[in-house]
Amino acid sequence: MSRVLSWRSALVLAALVALPALPFMSQFYLLLAFDALLFGAIAMSLDLLIGYTGLVSFGHAAFFGLGAYSTAILLERGIVSLWVCLGFAALVVGLYALLVSYFSTARRGIYFALLTLVFAEVVYTFFRYTQTFGGSDGIQGVPPAQLLPGVAIDTPLSNYYAVVVYLALAYVLCRVFVTSHFGKVLVAIRENEDRARFLGYNVQRYKIAVCMISALLTGIGGALYPGRSAFATPDLMLWTVSGEFIIMVMIGGLGTLAGPIIGGAFFVLLQEQVSSYVDWYFMVIGLVLVFIVLFMPRGLLGFRRMLGFGQWRATT
Amino acid sequence: MDYLVAVLLPQLLHGLVFGAALGLLALGLTVIFGLLGVMNFAHGELYMFGAYAGIAVIGVTQSFWVALVVAPLLVGVIGAVTEVATLRPLYRREPLYGLILTFGLALVFREAVRQIWGGDMRRILPPITGSTPLLGMTYPNYRLFLLGASSVLLLAIWLFFTRTRAGIVVRAAVQDAEMLDGLGVDVRRVFTLTFAGSAALAALAGLLLAPVFTVYPQMGVEMILLAFIVVILGGMGSMGGSVIAAFVIGLAQSLFSLWMNPQRVAIAIFGIMIVVLVVRPRGFFGREGVLE
Repeated sequence: MSRVLSWRSALVLAALVALPALPFMSQFYLLLAFDALLFGAIAMSLDLLIGYTGLVSFGHAAFFGLGAYSTAILLERGIVSLWVCLGFAALVVGLYALLVSYFSTARRGIYFALLTLVFAEVVYTFFRYTQTFGGSDGIQGVPPAQLLPGVAIDTPLSNYYAVVVYLALAYVLCRVFVTSHFGKVLVAIRENEDRARFLGYNVQRYKIAVCMISALLTGIGGALYPGRSAFATPDLMLWTVSGEFIIMVMIGGLGTLAGPIIGGAFFVLLQEQVSSYVDWYFMVIGLVLVFIVLFMPRGLLGFRRMLGFGQWRATT
Repeated sequence: MDYLVAVLLPQLLHGLVFGAALGLLALGLTVIFGLLGVMNFAHGELYMFGAYAGIAVIGVTQSFWVALVVAPLLVGVIGAVTEVATLRPLYRREPLYGLILTFGLALVFREAVRQIWGGDMRRILPPITGSTPLLGMTYPNYRLFLLGASSVLLLAIWLFFTRTRAGIVVRAAVQDAEMLDGLGVDVRRVFTLTFAGSAALAALAGLLLAPVFTVYPQMGVEMILLAFIVVILGGMGSMGGSVIAAFVIGLAQSLFSLWMNPQRVAIAIFGIMIVVLVVRPRGFFGREGVLE
């Protein structure tokens, strides 16, 4: 347990809890912090797939969007309990993820990436054109979820703390997974899938398991989103959003867990900062991405080698 | 019979036209994939560049035909520069990096076009107007030209790959670049020129289709997904497979739209792909072990 919860992560958690006490943390900055931590957590769960298992999912936006839609659909219909919403989101995302991972994990490399992409596009197209769920406008103006009957998560501050709790739990969970035997097998699959198979591991079962974990964490993150934004739109699951998730992981550093959290937060803050000055922020983000791939392939955290894991094979 | 002539036949021709153009796009994609192992996410943006470069050239020369020659050359040069500056340093790295790099390039390209030309829909007027009576119906001349031109192009590409030395070198590089390098061919130059060629092809497809569709910065994003599906269906790295799959998807798209609304068509196409991948995991003509 001490390895999982080092004093450093406890310190970071304490800082995050104390953050709203800072004098300049207005409502606006709280919502920005919400986004930064939410997408950080999603990037971290994607890192389980990309960084540890070597599977590049280009369809994580669908897990995120499905989670958001699940919550929004329930909230719109007056079911406002946070726990019911989260449970429903986990169920929906879980069923979909089972289907996707069953078919996608049978294929390797580029096929996996493109299969997840196409599955996600099916979901996107479905919500984009289904009028029951608002078509291209999505579901707008949903009421806040309630933690307990009468206790609504309706302020930026309460939303912020909800996401801090989610991030902390997700981090602990991911840390436990990657330091366990399960995590070691994932790395073995990344390094040499055939050898892992010859050693007697049912490689596909491991892959499905890690896909499910990653998808569920992402979906839960998505389920928290309508609480902050009061909407769920099909644009949340555009395939370019999946690309942005990958960018966040890359910026932070593959296979480090903490790196992608920083990467996700960095991406959100960069987008916010750049877009408040210029309207061509996608160009800046694209250039940052190109720069990182070319000159910092191990990302922001990549300068340090994480204990116990070889870094992503930068050269072959 | 009336239904056949008035509804089915034009739709079939539409499908062939669209399939041929899709084939041009997918061909470039699959060759680059075979060569560099990179699924080029910026390919759709090169397609879009073709249309916008066409608008620029038409603005200067007032001639669609000049644009049809000059615009692909311009985009080819952009492609060559991009390849040397960004993809070349990644040759020995994981294919993942190429995927992500081209995703970043696509963002940059799209935004650059939006800054220069704005985000509005634009149109290029067809250089050939009027329509021709054909098998009891009338069909627009420009679409007939489009079908003819893309078929000739596809044939020319096939001849290039089978009958010319340069084409055979490219195919050899797809097969085994290292061996080709050992035989004394400058593989880096082959890579760069092929990338430029695939960019020019995408641009050509973009400009040829521009008078039929509309031109806007996102146009490549929608096309590239179909092109990906075509490449997967045809089998990664198989050129013939890509062309056949392009016609299958083109025809499926236009025939389905007779009976379904657009989202059902999209889902049906995705469905075709998923079914094919489950039944034939490597597509129509995919080889075992290609980047798996």
